[in-house]
Amino acid sequence: MALFAAGLSHKNAPVALREQLAVDEEKLRELLRDTVAGGALREAVIVSTCNRVEVYGVADVPGLARAGVFARLCRHHGVDPAAVEPLLYSYEDEDAIRHAFRVAASLDSMMIGEPQILGQVKEAFALAQSCETVGPALHTLFTQAFAVAKRVRSETEIARHAVSVSFAAVELAKKIFAGLARRAVLLVGAGEMGELAARHLLEQGAFPIYVVNRTPSRAQELARTLSGTALPFEELGAALAAVDIVITSTGAPAAIVTRDMVARAMRERGARPLFFIDIAVPRDVEDGVESLEDVYCYDIDDLKQVVDANIRERLREAQRAEALVEREVVKFTARLGDVEVIPTIVSLRERLEEIRRGEVRKTLARLPDATPETRAAIEAMSAAIVNKVLHAPITKLRESSRAGAHRSWLEVVHELFGLGRRS
Amino acid sequence: MHAYLLNAAVVAYACATGLALAYLVQRQEVVHRLAALATATGWAAHTVGLVVVAVETGRPPLGTLSNAVSVAVWVVVLLEMMVERQSGLKVLGAFVMPVVLVLSLKSAVGRPTTLAPALGSAWIWVHIALALVGIAAFVLNFAGALMYLLQERQIRAKRPGRVYYRLPALATLDHLTYRTLALGFPFLTVGLILGALWARTSWGSVFAPDPLAFFSVVAWLIYAGTLAGRTAGGWHGRRAAYYAIVGFAALVLTLGAGLFFPGMHGA
Repeated sequence: MALFAAGLSHKNAPVALREQLAVDEEKLRELLRDTVAGGALREAVIVSTCNRVEVYGVADVPGLARAGVFARLCRHHGVDPAAVEPLLYSYEDEDAIRHAFRVAASLDSMMIGEPQILGQVKEAFALAQSCETVGPALHTLFTQAFAVAKRVRSETEIARHAVSVSFAAVELAKKIFAGLARRAVLLVGAGEMGELAARHLLEQGAFPIYVVNRTPSRAQELARTLSGTALPFEELGAALAAVDIVITSTGAPAAIVTRDMVARAMRERGARPLFFIDIAVPRDVEDGVESLEDVYCYDIDDLKQVVDANIRERLREAQRAEALVEREVVKFTARLGDVEVIPTIVSLRERLEEIRRGEVRKTLARLPDATPETRAAIEAMSAAIVNKVLHAPITKLRESSRAGAHRSWLEVVHELFGLGRRS
Repeated sequence: MHAYLLNAAVVAYACATGLALAYLVQRQEVVHRLAALATATGWAAHTVGLVVVAVETGRPPLGTLSNAVSVAVWVVVLLEMMVERQSGLKVLGAFVMPVVLVLSLKSAVGRPTTLAPALGSAWIWVHIALALVGIAAFVLNFAGALMYLLQERQIRAKRPGRVYYRLPALATLDHLTYRTLALGFPFLTVGLILGALWARTSWGSVFAPDPLAFFSVVAWLIYAGTLAGRTAGGWHGRRAAYYAIVGFAALVLTLGAGLFFPGMHGA
């Protein structure tokens, strides 16, 4: 009996194939029930997202179980199994545990640290639970995988730094202003990305927001959706003196924010930094604006550069996350071993206890005159003998489970003590 | 006994410096915790060491300039731990502890000067103590300015390096330099006034030829100018940070002058 994980993902399978194999919930229920009812798998969880289709299971012959699940899947989608088979990976035991932990912790994702995968795995697990295809092994595995994912998220920064241009702009604003609460924002132009960045800023507490557009009706409309205030285009210069963050994303052919304009605004506004986020191409903010004291200006290329740096930072953090996962895998493997030997230890104790009680009863029956002290002494002595006899085999079982070699020992113990067949 | 404790403190500060710098580029929480532990251990040894000095000599451990610098270091480490705790600024140690280390080494290698017999009056102790607290605040002021300039450079260069992710926001750092300046200045001012009053009665003139006194007045002028600029002239950010560094350089010269050149402060 072995724990295994098998499937295909963005790492080796082309998107054309992945999208063909993606399964809807209804079909997933059917698949889970059929495979477990068919007997090839004792337990099963199927994770199906746009980046991966994977089955986690417990089976006597993992290879057969894997082939069975994917044959059904291919049949359902009308895909040739021969096209899928060579792309499948499979992991067993410790490797399967590691894979589950890495997937849940978003270390196996296309964008490392992306937050969706954990939710998707949780959904897949809940679905399998509702189909009653989750047994003790997968239950402990997934519960632990969620705990590991949480640890990775809180103890490393793999999910911290923005990997989109608009979020990168928000993070930069935070590195300049500390908190964004009550920082005033000016949105110039109606570009989609500009609006998105403005929304992110608002979510972080920035307020109020002003909207400027060459077309007054467009400014009004945008101001309404962002709960802001529309200003006439001529007041752009005056608005610069009042706000902290300026997002520009117009379709203007040349710069609309000039150095003179900003220099004048800076004199009026006093000692407060001004941050330009220029997402327009061609750029809206004139070259040289950022050489002014207290003025910071990031254009689209700069923001992309920051995103690249953020991704590199995530990858560095991912190395730490991998080490953390590795430690968890070792711990979990040991625990899983314990879980397997505990039933045997319990039945071993019960068996000997049964014998002990029977013998004590017989002995005491032959000694009707025994004082309570004598009876107690006999009880104590027999219990001590049982404990001493059991000490070595139990220690050996626990040790072997930690070394991963407990399966043959379990057989031996069952045979020697006549514990009956293991389930 | 006290020498042993004070040396142990320096060793602990050296460890803390190394760990704090490591934490700057390698974000392992355990590194920060070890750095904090080394700092706290060093400070504890330092505290006991200073108490022993006081008990052995029967007066505050400010009698020689080396001792006085050591007390200043003690205050700096205390402030560093407090600010770090209060603001959660975990990288502060990386900028303060190197200064702490240099100053404590300096106090260890400085000539074993003894102060003039003028030390009879209680006022002179107050003069020294206030000046030292001021100096300690300015060490943090210097660290804040350094962090500000580093972070500002990274943001302007648009190439975030590893330190960028570790350092806090510009506004936070600017606030830190302002607060430490506002804290240190009154202490330094009153400390210097007491010193000047003492100089007049004891040396006969406020303008005695003493290198330490000269540089401390230079430093005071720089800090006074910065504070005035900040409160009245709207100075902030980069300019304020540059002045914080210049002011600190003057303070270092002050201590250096006192430790290495004879004057009225050291016989």
